[in-house]
Amino acid sequence: MKHITQILAAAAISMVVSVPAYAETTLTVHYPMPGFFKNVMDTISKKFMEENPDIKIQFAAPSATYEEGIQTILRQAGTSEMPDVTFIGLNRLRMIDERNIAVDLGPLVQKDGNMAEQGFSDTILKLAQVKGKQVGLAFATSNPIMYYNADLVKAAGGNPDNPPKTWDEVITLAGKIKALGNGVDGMDFRWQGDDWMFSALLFGAGGKMLSDDESKVAFNGPEGQKAVELIQRFVKEGGLPVFTKSAGEQAFAAGKVGFEFQTTGALVNTIKNVGAKFDLRTAKIPLIDPVNGHLPTGGNAVVILTHDQVKEAAAWKFAKFAAGPYGASVVVPGTGYVPNNELAAKSAEYLGDFYKKNPLFQAGLSQMPVMIPWYAFPGANGVKVTQTIVDNLSRIVDGSAEPKEALDDAASDVEGMLPRS
Amino acid sequence: MTSTSFTPGRILRLSLLISGALIFLAPYIFMISTAGKAQDDIFTSALRLIPTHFFYVENITKALSKVPMGRLLLNGVLVCGLIFFFQVVIAIPCAYAMAKLKFPAARLMMVLIMLGLLVPIHAVALPLYVAFNNLALLNSYTALVAPFSISVFAIFMFLQFFRAMPDDLIHAARLDGMSELGIVARVIVPNAWPAVTAFAIFSVVAHWNDFYWPLIVISNQAYATPPLGLMYFRAAESGDDYGALMAATLIITLPLVAAFLLAQKRFVEGITMTGLKG
Amino acid sequence: MASIAATTIPMQSAAKHERSEARTALLFALPAIILIVLFILLPIIAVVVLGFTDFQLGDKSLRFVAFENYAHLLKDRTFQKSLWNTAVYTAIVAPVSILLGLGVALLIESEGIGRSFFRTAYFLPVASLIVAMATVWQYLFHPTIGPINALLGEIGLPRPNWLASSSTALYSLSIIGVWQTVGFNMVLFLAGLTAIPRELYAAAEVDGAKSAFDRFWLVTWPMLGPTTLFVTTISIINAVKVFDTVKVLTEGGPNHASEVLLFTIYQEGFVYLRVGYASAMTSVFLAILVVLTFLQYRVQDRQVHYT
Repeated sequence: MKHITQILAAAAISMVVSVPAYAETTLTVHYPMPGFFKNVMDTISKKFMEENPDIKIQFAAPSATYEEGIQTILRQAGTSEMPDVTFIGLNRLRMIDERNIAVDLGPLVQKDGNMAEQGFSDTILKLAQVKGKQVGLAFATSNPIMYYNADLVKAAGGNPDNPPKTWDEVITLAGKIKALGNGVDGMDFRWQGDDWMFSALLFGAGGKMLSDDESKVAFNGPEGQKAVELIQRFVKEGGLPVFTKSAGEQAFAAGKVGFEFQTTGALVNTIKNVGAKFDLRTAKIPLIDPVNGHLPTGGNAVVILTHDQVKEAAAWKFAKFAAGPYGASVVVPGTGYVPNNELAAKSAEYLGDFYKKNPLFQAGLSQMPVMIPWYAFPGANGVKVTQTIVDNLSRIVDGSAEPKEALDDAASDVEGMLPRS
Repeated sequence: MTSTSFTPGRILRLSLLISGALIFLAPYIFMISTAGKAQDDIFTSALRLIPTHFFYVENITKALSKVPMGRLLLNGVLVCGLIFFFQVVIAIPCAYAMAKLKFPAARLMMVLIMLGLLVPIHAVALPLYVAFNNLALLNSYTALVAPFSISVFAIFMFLQFFRAMPDDLIHAARLDGMSELGIVARVIVPNAWPAVTAFAIFSVVAHWNDFYWPLIVISNQAYATPPLGLMYFRAAESGDDYGALMAATLIITLPLVAAFLLAQKRFVEGITMTGLKG
Repeated sequence: MASIAATTIPMQSAAKHERSEARTALLFALPAIILIVLFILLPIIAVVVLGFTDFQLGDKSLRFVAFENYAHLLKDRTFQKSLWNTAVYTAIVAPVSILLGLGVALLIESEGIGRSFFRTAYFLPVASLIVAMATVWQYLFHPTIGPINALLGEIGLPRPNWLASSSTALYSLSIIGVWQTVGFNMVLFLAGLTAIPRELYAAAEVDGAKSAFDRFWLVTWPMLGPTTLFVTTISIINAVKVFDTVKVLTEGGPNHASEVLLFTIYQEGFVYLRVGYASAMTSVFLAILVVLTFLQYRVQDRQVHYT
């Protein structure tokens, strides 16, 4: 009996002690791709709550993809379900902005005054701007890299320590790997899902998606032509099979594919899937135009949705924390994304050492200087436009259309979907 | 009527059943095999059913720790139980009325039923969502249960079943002075046992596995149902953690299998009951 | 005098009885009617109305555009492809799963041992979460490292690129569709079979029905009438409503080769956010279903007799 009273007393005392004496602000946070980011979000929010005991972070049900994420937000906008903070794919920021749902962070950045010292350089701030308006803060950023199977490369007569630097070299080597037989494919290129990897080729050739005034399609110009002809060469000479997205990743992880071209964000998962099966390496992705070429930036940005004064202030603190050096130091090793914060990349306190010890992550990091925003099509049909581009790419890959034909079809379809001004 | 000897006919029958069962169970065999593999063991060029290192404990732990499994399962049971209860209570009198009583709106009801069968939740989700939001009922058990409390499938199924029931039982009860409600409770329900059990299986399975509707109306973790929990393991940009995903699927499917096995027993009992009577 | 009174009173009470029966029936059906109106009729009306607007998700206002959406539908190549694919899918999955469901139910019924096991084995696909099973199937169908093609390769058969090739994507989904629904139909047929009184078989045997086929044709098949009607209706409707496997495995690809109606509606409404257009599509979809089912029910109901 005495025991129980003692225990109860102790419990009562500990409850009194742990209850905060002042009012708490609760922020509801929504994010996409929990398979990736759950651990990252849990870690970041825990540290944030330790440093800010008056703010509580609770997570809404996450969305499986960026697309589902934006759908969820658009559906919940204005309802009681809308979260206070969300993370949105970089190419969908425009959609959020066109509907005036996000809080404009411009004034908050102004008031803060020293964003650059916290690691938020102008280049990084630009990544989450739409036409100069600060819609969010870039949280996780990625660029496309080249993964390759060093064992297969060696078997085909290449030197894994000196990976191909141009597309021609890649195609030749991939062709040789395919010739090894035994169910092996030369290369896999992530053209499915959205227009990101296509833009890797397009921007890599110095091309643009739309004309500067955004009224006409520009991706079927000479740069675009080079891009789609390259894709056909992948199929005909490089041994690119018709894979679904996941089939390609799985085949590469099984050691049956020589080269894999996709986001550096998949790095940690690829490492886990490959295990000790073969010698995995990464390198820069070749650019069609090494001088003028650029690469698209994938990833997402933290966006504030709540207009309530108190919550907005708390949300701004959280946004800066998550997108800041601490956040980057959690995101990078946990996923493979590149740091969106210059302070994090350089200082030893955060990631300096990490890159020395993990060479596979350096490929994405080294491409940061050529990163430009992932292009977001204007108007209400943004999502349908990217789908149309992918559909036409699939015709090239399965051989049912010639590159020029598919590209021109895509261009005319997309022109019809642009907003008429 | 079932012989104990192995005639050639019987052997053929058994071999058909067994090979069919193996084909149907094949995905599960792979699922169980994958649930025990470490991430790098799953995609290999060689087909191996037995994991190189047994990872069951790790994957199941991951499955249980990444999501609040207990809460999810509890919600699943609660929601499915409530839905089933309301469905049956509403459907049985209605089906009885349509099958055995004369009333003018019977054909209209039939049209309404057919219409209800045709309308998938995906089609009416948006207006329903807006309505629930305006009533501030999102993120609640009401939102999860209410739209499904009417099951035209149940009405349809019981209707067919009741139509096949002999009228004499009912006439006899009427002559005995029983009220219509009494007839439903004391004559119809006991005799509808196989149908109710079969429907129970469908209802529970359909709503336990329902992904689409909870996805729309629930954003508060406290109300999440099991399929929402599975979402945690999916990542679009880089492939899923298949091992943990398979382990989580196992955990979520097991209650259903157990329930089905139990329901099967009742099923047989129910049949025996009516068999003796008939 | 007495005889007239004697005949009028029973007639009066018969009429009164009919009215009270009708009242009771209406009362019994009332809860169901109210719920159907709330959760089926009203939303359908809302959808039809939305089909005449240009509403986009996230908009604060909408505009009436009359038949513009429907005009666009007529020219929409994706929608046409979607219609065709759904028809093909239904034409494969419905009959095959009904026949297999009946076959399995018959086999299990006439077999003594292992009934529980077989019932569970065939029903398991129905009870499983399709999102997760789809992942397993995606691995099974993998063109280079999947077991199905490995097996086919061993026997020397060609190894199709199941989910990634436009010529086989829809068929791969049909295979999964059949796998998913046979157990469903099996349970329904089992329930129907157990309701057949045993005396009928004894009587048939007395009448000269000797073989299993005779028993089936003379007793089982006719008595299964209502059940078969039910199973056919449900199978067709469910096949037309296919969505989960398409969403998880192919997203309608490659290049719309496996695009089905519900998926197109979902894409238009929830991904491209064109809710007005998607609602118009939904209205067409529902109209097709109504006509189809009405015809099918009419045809079969005539052939079914009840005890």
